[in-house]
Amino acid sequence: MELIATVRFKRAMDRALAAVAYTERMKALVDHLIRSGLQARHPLLEPRSTICRATLLVLTANRGLCGGYNSSVLRLAYAHLEQLRQTAADVRLEVSGKRGIAAFRFRKLPLHERFTHFEDKPTFAEVDVLATRYLNEYLSGQIDRLDIVYTKFESASRQYAAVETLLPIEPLEGHLEPNNHRAVEYEFLPSAQSILEEVLPASFKVRLFKCFLDAAVSEQIARRVAMKSATENAEKMIVMLSMAYNRARQGQITSELLEILSGAEAMSK
Amino acid sequence: MRCVIVTPESTVRDAEADFVAVTLFDGELGIAPNHTPLIGRLGYGELRVRLADALERYYVEGGLLEVVGNVVSVLTERAVPAAQIDEAVARQQLLAVQERRALTPEQLTLRDKVSAQSRAQLRVARRAKAQQP
Repeated sequence: MELIATVRFKRAMDRALAAVAYTERMKALVDHLIRSGLQARHPLLEPRSTICRATLLVLTANRGLCGGYNSSVLRLAYAHLEQLRQTAADVRLEVSGKRGIAAFRFRKLPLHERFTHFEDKPTFAEVDVLATRYLNEYLSGQIDRLDIVYTKFESASRQYAAVETLLPIEPLEGHLEPNNHRAVEYEFLPSAQSILEEVLPASFKVRLFKCFLDAAVSEQIARRVAMKSATENAEKMIVMLSMAYNRARQGQITSELLEILSGAEAMSK
Repeated sequence: MRCVIVTPESTVRDAEADFVAVTLFDGELGIAPNHTPLIGRLGYGELRVRLADALERYYVEGGLLEVVGNVVSVLTERAVPAAQIDEAVARQQLLAVQERRALTPEQLTLRDKVSAQSRAQLRVARRAKAQQP
């Protein structure tokens, strides 16, 4: 199990790294857009004054045996759900992963959508379907806010459950470094506004995709750690048990020998 | 000049180029070295990269183009080498979407989008085939 998890982890990690190239370039492009003095105005950027309908997406695993991975996500999800309910009248729950679905069913919380097809390699096409639906729902006013609870992957030794607001998209501030070279004059084809219309949905989609990838990588790491400690524990137990067994066997042999000896002694008398 | 094509799933190409031709949302654009900085919106269509005598063709499905400092970055959701396009699948997709009834404006836009994508795929595949000896 540990070996399987290790192989899967490596594969998931490669996919996550491949996505980094895209996100980095997207970030740089947004940075350049802002540097060139673009007035960012778009419905996806503007928070709604009243939030009536919110959606909470929770990413859990399909399978167990991965330590505290699922429970830490779920713990955060319950807390965040309570918090959302205080501000929004209608909170919709969408859960990915059998473990999460079972946990919410146990708590008798109604689920609006459930997904079990995101395994350890979520593809962009699969996430795209979901992302497009959210974008349409947000733009048509069916939802006012989209939050996600997932396990964020920071490094191979650190992952933690996190909540993020995906919609509305946070204002494109970026991290402008003032000392950097002066702004480059860009030519926009067709116009800056039109570019923004393309950038925003794309950056939302890739962010959602990254959440899924992070969750997949973290799951494999959690499983590997859990399985590693299980293997070590089993090894320790084998040592202890075989020692106990040997001692018991030796004890039995000794007592049998004593019986035979004492029997022989009695006969000879 | 460098030409980089990235999708969320992988880096399709990251190598030198002498000349790049991309399909923008309203027509084709050629980029030679030392092009002025540019950010553009891509359409569905062909992307050609020339390096020395070799010509590479890709099918690119929307996204963004950035040209700065002699680096051409193409950010797209899908980029496939023209030789790997499955014409049968594209044709099937086109037929299916044309037969489906579209009643609401959203369905209409979706239908237009999908048919434009599959038509572009067929076009790119055909052109790639025609060029082959």
